[in-house]
Amino acid sequence: MPSLPEFFAGYQESITRALDALVPAPPPRVGATGALGIGDAGAACTGDAGASPVNDAMRYTLLAPSKRVRAVLVLLSAELCGSATRAMPAACAVEAIHAASLILDDLPSMDDAPLRRGRPAVHIAYGEAVAILAAFALLNGAYGHLARAYDAPLAARLTALFADAVGLDGLVAGQAEDVLATDTALTFDTLERIHRRKTGVLFSAAATAGALTAGGTADDIAALTAYARNLGLAFQVVDDLLDVTGTPEKTGKAVRHDARKTTFVSFSGVEGARELADELCRTATRALEPFGHRAARLGALAAFVAARRL
Amino acid sequence: MATAPDPRIDTVREQLRALGYLDARVDRFVLGDAAARGRGLALAAAASARIGLLAGVLLGPAAVVGVAARVDGFVTSVTDALVLALYLAVLFGLATAVLACGAILIAGALARRWSADAAFPRHARRAAIAAGLLVAAACLGYLTLWWRAAVPPGAWATQGLALAVATAISVLLGHVVTISVLAYLVAATRTQANVAFAESLPQGSPLSSWRVVVPMGVVALTGALVLLAVITPSTPPPAAPPPLAVVPTGARVVVLAIDGVDVATLDRLRTTPSLPTFQRLLAQARAPLTSDADRDPAQVWTTIATGQPPDRHGVRALESRQLAGVEGRMRSASPGVAPGLAMLTTATDLLRLTRPTIASGEERRLPAFWEVGASAGIRTAVVHWWATWPASDTQGVVLSDRAILRLEQDGTLAGEIAPAAVYDQLRQTADARHARVAALADIATSALPAGVAAIVTRSATLDATILELATDPALGPLDLLTVYLPGLDIAQHALFPLDATTPLAPAAAAERLQALEVYYRFLDTALSRTVLRDDDAQRMVLLVAQPGRLQQDAPGLLAISGANAATIEADRGAPVSIAPTVLMALGIPVAADLAGTPAAALFTERFRAAHPARTVPTYGERRVSPRTTAGQPLDREMIERMRSLGYVR
Repeated sequence: MPSLPEFFAGYQESITRALDALVPAPPPRVGATGALGIGDAGAACTGDAGASPVNDAMRYTLLAPSKRVRAVLVLLSAELCGSATRAMPAACAVEAIHAASLILDDLPSMDDAPLRRGRPAVHIAYGEAVAILAAFALLNGAYGHLARAYDAPLAARLTALFADAVGLDGLVAGQAEDVLATDTALTFDTLERIHRRKTGVLFSAAATAGALTAGGTADDIAALTAYARNLGLAFQVVDDLLDVTGTPEKTGKAVRHDARKTTFVSFSGVEGARELADELCRTATRALEPFGHRAARLGALAAFVAARRL
Repeated sequence: MATAPDPRIDTVREQLRALGYLDARVDRFVLGDAAARGRGLALAAAASARIGLLAGVLLGPAAVVGVAARVDGFVTSVTDALVLALYLAVLFGLATAVLACGAILIAGALARRWSADAAFPRHARRAAIAAGLLVAAACLGYLTLWWRAAVPPGAWATQGLALAVATAISVLLGHVVTISVLAYLVAATRTQANVAFAESLPQGSPLSSWRVVVPMGVVALTGALVLLAVITPSTPPPAAPPPLAVVPTGARVVVLAIDGVDVATLDRLRTTPSLPTFQRLLAQARAPLTSDADRDPAQVWTTIATGQPPDRHGVRALESRQLAGVEGRMRSASPGVAPGLAMLTTATDLLRLTRPTIASGEERRLPAFWEVGASAGIRTAVVHWWATWPASDTQGVVLSDRAILRLEQDGTLAGEIAPAAVYDQLRQTADARHARVAALADIATSALPAGVAAIVTRSATLDATILELATDPALGPLDLLTVYLPGLDIAQHALFPLDATTPLAPAAAAERLQALEVYYRFLDTALSRTVLRDDDAQRMVLLVAQPGRLQQDAPGLLAISGANAATIEADRGAPVSIAPTVLMALGIPVAADLAGTPAAALFTERFRAAHPARTVPTYGERRVSPRTTAGQPLDREMIERMRSLGYVR
């Protein structure tokens, strides 16, 4: 089974530490507030200053074992464009937005998925109401974190970037179309649009955000967006494959769950989908040729996505 | 065990490509390391160069097909085709690169006016699409017109296929220009709007989607077909030439073509006893010939030989061009028609891309009268006529305009003489012939002062050689003998150069005039000792005289003497009438599509009654046999010879 690239672990560790700081465990005393600023709110909800189910649900999702691909993409993109020293807040914001989307995606009214990241989904563990609140808290916390972490123009640019990625041409639109299309045969274009909005847009936003924090040029952004776009779709194609070929133990989520849905496997078969995922990842890597060997890590990330089995 | 690939994957792959994923290899090729090329102009230049390379590779080989179909004899081998494809690839590549660069920079400049505007991405995409469409339309329009010019009308399936290829290439070029404009705009602008634009790029370039490209291609192909239909004249395809039925007249025809004749001088001299042969040749039927303002000898004498004007027979100038590495010839434009072309060919000669060569039979599209005669079964021979090289065995006996060179150089034939057996026989009799030639030429030079004699000697030797060859038994019994004598024109040109900067002293001019008169006497004697040596009651001689390379207007002359010639002096005649007149004299039907009609009035009434002119619709195109000889063509020697004789500079 392909393992994560060696450099990946370091990034994952630092991202996890940053996320931990972003949504800290509820303090034993009233008044402590994490970076997302929801410590007190959670306590207020329950009347128990030491145990906030919303806060717990947020941490439950955010700190669950994860590859942190989107956040790492932010850091690597920034590194490629100069320096990743200012990129961590954006990486955390992406991860928070992604976590919120997963919570919402698993809800009974949506995909009704019982498992996520090898554990019961948030709405199973904390109840549907808490899950919804946790998702909203994560989303708003992400925007707030960006606003506090960067100077006004960059903060505004990043906030707009992520708002667009979540909004009516992003995650929300993709999720809506996906839910409404369940049990309906999709055309290829519709399937691509759903996946682009649900996955690709956030990948692209992550790459762009990383470049923006490092002062990347339009050329850099164009190349990175092309990379992320292809990588995002490859990621989704592999997800579809894993739903067919994987096991809950390996993937950490319920499989054959998409049986009622049209997926890339429906259009090209298992081997075809695998071949397409490879091609998409190779295309992603080629998009970074102008950067030369400096893009080696992003290339390794693409190779991992193409071969991943979890 | 390897599993078979899912057949659906190609469809999915194309769908993904249309949606902006994967990447078209052509896009990668064109943009390549565009980001590394820097900004603006450098990127536009790099992308344009690659677009030009793409266009060259695609259009060069395709264009060779058109050229080979249209220009007989230009593409003579696979090597010719490859070299020509390379040349055309360079030409098309350069033109496309310039066009693409212009389109990229103009579209880019227009779009950048909105670079500070939030609507910049929209304007940029519109500008890119417009540039791509314009380039595609320009390419397709040009290719359609080019194809129309290169390929004869008819064969609509071929035309449709060719235009489909042209459409595909044009759409592809339009697409790569579009993505180049987009890349240029990303690289050339540094604004907030540009960042948003850059983010939007990977959603697929505007002309990437097959949903756009296929309908656009259909519309473009339809437009090209309509354009082709509109510009194609509705002339029916040429009819196949019918077999020629000869009604023998019993005449043995000799066509004596003499260049450089001043008719007034000839008439003055023939009244003296010194030109008895010319007196006899001019005593019966004669007609002045109108002469063309363009006095290029290859063009004029090919017009006479084919009975068709230059735009139909194809030989426009004695000097044509050969592309370096290509055996075939480019048909020359008439020098007066395209003065710019002369400058261009001078430049390409200097660059060693082209080299001058002498007009050849490969440029001639229509059969000469002796070829018509040979195809009708008449025994024919032609000696030293313009544009007769390379000779083939199907045209009777041909001693081409390179035959004398080949006999001088010896070696393996390369189309200079046909049939090859004639060459072998002529080689065996070379020594005796040289002695006779020297004796004949001595007639012209013995009576002249040394300085002038030296000028005239070469002309006299050349004419004497031609006449001796024309009389050689190797040619066998003939019904039609055609001889071209350039000596008088060459001598006249050498004695009175057109570009002389200092006028001759009266005494020197008189001496040279006298030399010319001596030359007329030499010709008279030489003719009587060679081709007109035997008294033959059935011989009909057509004397065709042209004024040569003079700058002022001067008439030519057609005179018919001997059997069946009337005694008449017609008001006028035309060079295009000579071929049908010769064919009528031989009892061969005359093609209705010739530009002239037989000068029937020059024949006796009895002959005309017995052999009225019969017609066939056409003789068709000249059938050129591929060169099969292994010898080395005497191209360099020929051009040197022509230069030494004053024909080319």
